[in-house]
Amino acid sequence: MPLLTKEMVPGMLRQGDGFKVDIDIPPKFSVGDRIRARDINPEGHTRLPRYARGRQGVIDKDYGVFVFPDTMARGEGKNPQHLYSVRFMFSELWGPDARAGDSVYVDMWDDYMDPA
Amino acid sequence: MSEKTHDGHTELTDNELRVRALESLLTERGLVDADALNELIDTYETKIGPRNGFKVVARAWTDPEFKKRLLEDGNAALAEMGYEGRQGETMVVLENTPKIHNMVVCTLCSCYPWPVLGLPPAWYKSFPYRSRAVIDPRGVLKEFGVEIGDDVDIRVWDSTSETRFIVLPERPAGTEDMTEEELVEIVNRNSLIGTALVEAPSAIGDQS
Repeated sequence: MPLLTKEMVPGMLRQGDGFKVDIDIPPKFSVGDRIRARDINPEGHTRLPRYARGRQGVIDKDYGVFVFPDTMARGEGKNPQHLYSVRFMFSELWGPDARAGDSVYVDMWDDYMDPA
Repeated sequence: MSEKTHDGHTELTDNELRVRALESLLTERGLVDADALNELIDTYETKIGPRNGFKVVARAWTDPEFKKRLLEDGNAALAEMGYEGRQGETMVVLENTPKIHNMVVCTLCSCYPWPVLGLPPAWYKSFPYRSRAVIDPRGVLKEFGVEIGDDVDIRVWDSTSETRFIVLPERPAGTEDMTEEELVEIVNRNSLIGTALVEAPSAIGDQS
């Protein structure tokens, strides 16, 4: 028996998946905080890009509470926590020759970083 | 899928053959319903595509209140136009200004705002774009024919979570008299990813 029939398609596409979690968990960071991305190298799935690991950035926005993909991928549960947009300046990522005003925004969960 | 036909043969790439074999097996065993698969393909070929994004941009350019809502809460404003759902569960709209140019990439895979732009173009999923956008955006943009001035800061947005980013391009000079409906026709897909600008119709004409 197929899991998806033609009639189910529009509703399935409209509804999407719920990664946002509606529970009240206190954030570990606030907008404007300086953070350092953890230098983690897990064997399994992670959304922390290698170029950001060990680098300093600033919290730009708090998106709210989301499931944590690293533990979800390992079958270890949702481990919900705050997700933030973090700004890394090019000079921090690519060295002093990089143009001063350019930056990369990376979405990062609480478990990806420590206060800088 | 592209099929190159010559000498009466149809040649498929290894990947295309693999996908067809998988589809046949899954359909024969009743795991995938062929009608459901066709409905999915039809949805993203004919119903959901970049034109949704063009309409969003044109409305933002002509309706300041909508633009304000769009930048403050992307999902709520896009839902007003009926654009919501899979791969757009959390959408953030980024405004280009004379001093800031936004550009979107997914360095990890191919995350893209489906409800507003449909499925991502092949270059967006390619290794060169994904690896170079975060370290040399100006060089990448030059290859797209876009020169970003040295007085403009570039912000690259890496789609590492389920958040999907959409760029609101600058409205070009010389379009002040155009209606929302007319503006829909001058927006282009890449401008919503940040790898193109939008040009006024006369400028488009000058180039051809």
